[in-house]
Amino acid sequence: MDALQYWIQGFSVALQPTNLLYAFIGCVLGTLIGVLPGLGPAAGTAILIPVTFSLDPIGALIMLAAIYYGAMYGGTITSVLVNVPGEAASVITCLDGYQMAKQGRAGPALGIAAIGSFIGGTFATLALMVVSLPLANFALRFGPPEVFALLVVGLSLVTGLSGRSLLAALIMTAFGLILAMIGMDPVRGAPRFTFGIPPLYDGIGFIPVVMGLFGVGEIFLSMEAPVLEIIKTKLNDLWPKREELGISAKAIGRGTVIGFFLGLIPGIGAIIPTFLAYVVEKKVSKHPEKFGTGVIEGVASPETANNSYANGAMVPLLTLGIPGSPTLAVIMGAFIIHGLTPGPFLFKERPDVVWGLIASLYLGNVILLILNLPLVGLWAKLLEIKYQYLYPGILLFCILGAYSLNQSVFDVGVMVGFGVLGYIFRKLDWPLAPTVLALILGPMMERALRTSLEMSGGDLSILVTRPIPAVLLIIAVIVLASPAVRLLGKRAGKDD
Amino acid sequence: MTIQARDLKKWKSSVGLMLLVDLFLACSAIAQSPAAYPTRPISIMVPSIAGGGTDVGARILAAVAEKKMGQPLVVVNKPGAGTQVGFTELSRQKPDGYYLGFVLLPQINTIILDPERKAIFNFDSFVPIINQVVDAGLIWVRAGSPYKTLKELIDDAKKRPGEIRASTTGILSDDHLAILMMEQAAGVKFRIVHFDGGPQQLTATLGGQVDVSFDNVGVINARIKAGVVRGLAVMDKERSKFLPEIPTTPELGYPAVVSSSTRGVMGPKGVPEPIIKKIQEVFLEAMKNPEHMDKMDKAALAVKPMVGEEYAKFFREMHERCKPLVEAVVKAR
Repeated sequence: MDALQYWIQGFSVALQPTNLLYAFIGCVLGTLIGVLPGLGPAAGTAILIPVTFSLDPIGALIMLAAIYYGAMYGGTITSVLVNVPGEAASVITCLDGYQMAKQGRAGPALGIAAIGSFIGGTFATLALMVVSLPLANFALRFGPPEVFALLVVGLSLVTGLSGRSLLAALIMTAFGLILAMIGMDPVRGAPRFTFGIPPLYDGIGFIPVVMGLFGVGEIFLSMEAPVLEIIKTKLNDLWPKREELGISAKAIGRGTVIGFFLGLIPGIGAIIPTFLAYVVEKKVSKHPEKFGTGVIEGVASPETANNSYANGAMVPLLTLGIPGSPTLAVIMGAFIIHGLTPGPFLFKERPDVVWGLIASLYLGNVILLILNLPLVGLWAKLLEIKYQYLYPGILLFCILGAYSLNQSVFDVGVMVGFGVLGYIFRKLDWPLAPTVLALILGPMMERALRTSLEMSGGDLSILVTRPIPAVLLIIAVIVLASPAVRLLGKRAGKDD
Repeated sequence: MTIQARDLKKWKSSVGLMLLVDLFLACSAIAQSPAAYPTRPISIMVPSIAGGGTDVGARILAAVAEKKMGQPLVVVNKPGAGTQVGFTELSRQKPDGYYLGFVLLPQINTIILDPERKAIFNFDSFVPIINQVVDAGLIWVRAGSPYKTLKELIDDAKKRPGEIRASTTGILSDDHLAILMMEQAAGVKFRIVHFDGGPQQLTATLGGQVDVSFDNVGVINARIKAGVVRGLAVMDKERSKFLPEIPTTPELGYPAVVSSSTRGVMGPKGVPEPIIKKIQEVFLEAMKNPEHMDKMDKAALAVKPMVGEEYAKFFREMHERCKPLVEAVVKAR
């Protein structure tokens, strides 16, 4: 089958009424999560995984992916109206978006953000369709040594790009790897770090940990947050001025390219693309001094970049099985729960899942445009819900969700425990992304390493005598040692 | 509050309610008289991920049998540590007939026999109720492999001891034991590589990372039909009805190399006799049902019902057969 047939198959899956419905529900939930400050896409997808349990795998993944990029849309609304990012990727949008709102121009700011997000998301999905098949076919030739080296690169990028301190990031990576070792030895079957506690034989569940670190932890943190002040403004006129459209079009074009290509690199996170897009826009602008006072391209470009990034970041997840961010790690967890392993093999094994999901990204962007442009006023109203009503409900939902994963009270305890840890780590400003990524990639890394050694009869040189692992391991060393990467990492700051 | 938010809340609370009902059902495990069994849904544990061979078989059986049972049969997946997590779970359940599990032979035997596994259950922790499937072992290579027959493989293995990479779907699984039997019977030595399960093993074999793989007919049958892999031998006394063109190991001169994955329903020790009888009656009828047979045929899973003492005897004999093999593995560490 050639690429075109796969695309058609994908759309025929994504266009099934039930799958369209899941995409729609996901988009609504995602926008909601994006709008609510505190709850990011990682928390949102983790909390909602139990809900997708009873769905078929395609429906579940379509819904979770829709939540993911829906949050990218929703975050803008909060940034513009409250000057608080609804999720991390909308930080930059606050700069000019909030200024525009103060001038009574919240409508055009949200309008151009929705249009830019749509265009960025759509083009990135097209690019994803084009590059993923050749990449997956290439990766299909990867054996355990190649997989091990690739995972090392992915993990070192996440570590190198996380937060201010490399030491803290390394500690958090090691913490994740140690957590990943709890349970049965994946090859020999001997229990490790189980202390005779039967539920630990199965290891520490990934989903309860993420629900705790991101969901519960963020709720704890939000309790300290001040009450939001919302700019009351008319949202009737969403269209930018005629002269702004030309500038915006170019900004959207640049944002799309920046977002997609940075999305291909695992570990970049959603913030760097928006930051870079903003800086580039300022550089090429005829009036750079006006940035920060409410110029429309200062909203259009980063908002486009974050949605383009969100779709671009699907490439390493789907083709190589490497999630580039905690949210994508959660989506990967959802694949695994449904008995599917993202990676090149899935393109052969379940083309309906892969291409159905990709096609749904495309449709989801259309749904989001429809949801956002006319209904933006409704979303803004959500900001008026009081925390004291909202968060206890979400907390209860987390507890029920964690229990429903395995009908295990132990999982609920794990979630609450990691909620407390997540709160502490946030207070310390230690990055959570490396822990989460190490926890999901750790077992695969260990497996790949040990299988490599079985293949070589115990000889470690198999990792450097094959060309691909050798090159990848050198890249990993450069990533961790290079000051340039550190500089980017400092900009990345927050997690999702 | 907006319309969306209200709908969402409603939707959330209905999900919550469902979870609470589940919780309630799980908690209300009041002792009931065996005569009335079953008065509530029965959980059937599968110790591996959804979509695998065991899971497929279990779901087919549950769908057919629950009509006769009068209560829902709920398949619960408890994967982990090469089925050990699920077995641990099963051994800790109350023996009231409301929690049954699919048990894989010889995995359960090897886990019990291998001291390194530190299993909290033993041979007497389970009561065999009824067997469903005997899935014969299969030796296979990728379609482009130089080995066209088992003889070519063994001849090459004799020339290059410890160099030919042979893969399993897990340490001390039936596939692993099969490789050990083959080594013993043919006087060869393979370099054994363990994978986590069928899909991983398949990728690695197709990608040329390993030279030969040991798995089961039910898992790999569709690949042979699709022409991507080549079966060298079925490790059974008779030819497989799903792959009649592939010779058996005894035909090829290795009568001792017979291996299969045997999957059936067991309960935690102490399930009352009348309840066991009832389960056996209903499940046996379901297994003979044309709907069950038809679906199992499509999945290339060979149905072999064994009830009560016949199944218990099979379990015991499997345990005895595994002892020397596991001892050899333990010694080799």
